[in-house]
Amino acid sequence: MAELSDIENEFIRQEIEEYLERPEEIERNIELFARVRPAMQAIAAALIEGEDGEVDRLTQQALEDGVEALEVMDDGLIAGMGIVGIKFREAMIFVPEVLACARAMKAGMKYIEPILSESGVKPIAKVLMGTVKGDLHDIGKNLCIMMLRGSGFEVVDLGVDTSEDEFIDAIEEHKATILGMSALLTTTMPNMGKTIEALIDADVRDDVWVMVGGAPVTQEFADDMGADGYGKDALSCVSLAKKLAAQAL
Amino acid sequence: MSKIDPKEIQKRMARISEMFSEMVSHAETVSQTRCPYRDRHDLCTAEFRCRNQKPPAAEGERHPCGHDGVFDYRSAWESQPLAHGRAKKKVREIREGAAQRRSESRRKKAD
Repeated sequence: MAELSDIENEFIRQEIEEYLERPEEIERNIELFARVRPAMQAIAAALIEGEDGEVDRLTQQALEDGVEALEVMDDGLIAGMGIVGIKFREAMIFVPEVLACARAMKAGMKYIEPILSESGVKPIAKVLMGTVKGDLHDIGKNLCIMMLRGSGFEVVDLGVDTSEDEFIDAIEEHKATILGMSALLTTTMPNMGKTIEALIDADVRDDVWVMVGGAPVTQEFADDMGADGYGKDALSCVSLAKKLAAQAL
Repeated sequence: MSKIDPKEIQKRMARISEMFSEMVSHAETVSQTRCPYRDRHDLCTAEFRCRNQKPPAAEGERHPCGHDGVFDYRSAWESQPLAHGRAKKKVREIREGAAQRRSESRRKKAD
């Protein structure tokens, strides 16, 4: 049986010691990190800290050094994210930290994705995601993006305060299958409808499936605006995106 | 670049998806009483103004969050029937206006 001291990375040792409370989780993580090579421990540590630049650098380095992509995923990215999940569940970190960790994971996956593609694993579909004009809320959209990426979609994040023209340009540039729009304010929600009308005027409406979501949005609003689907949260956003992607095939 | 068995990849993707699903479900629960923009240091990470933001300790630093965390603010967002009615009217006007504009444009082209 491995001991905590068998783990070379000091940060990982501290994380297990300070934040893990359930005996089976402590044991599982000690066993896991004690057997993985230091370079993978370093990737996991950077991911737990939400340091996307560092995860980017370390992942690239590991792959260049000949580490297999599956090992990077298992022992670096997924192992690190396992600790993040526990810390979040135990209220030691919150949504902003989780999203920073998800961004760090994305930074590492950037180097894994071409290998997956080479092996015949393609993204389910490409999705454009943006919060509409006048709205600066992004947590809901970012949780959806995290879920979509984790479920195998390629996502282009258009950010917040996205104008109709920016949505149209992105459709033309990225040739995406799905466009996701989010709004948190009742006052900005009509801008989703405005954007859909702008897509019709620009003759790109039929190029994408449009899905909408956000706290004040309802199925009725989605129907009124002429959207193709409505997701009430990040989980239903993924189900909807899968359904729309299947229809596009 | 060495190829990987797609089945092995699918296993990992399923694991990642499962982990994220659990986190998102937990985020939904946590966000009922704690603002999702509030980080572990109780600082606001939002890029917009919020009435719960307190003055920052120094210029350029993040605002501490002053929310007491005892109510579900999301239901407050959703309980504005007048605002919802206005938004609904606006959506209808946008659609009708766009349809009318297109119809006029088509008529002009035909003339």
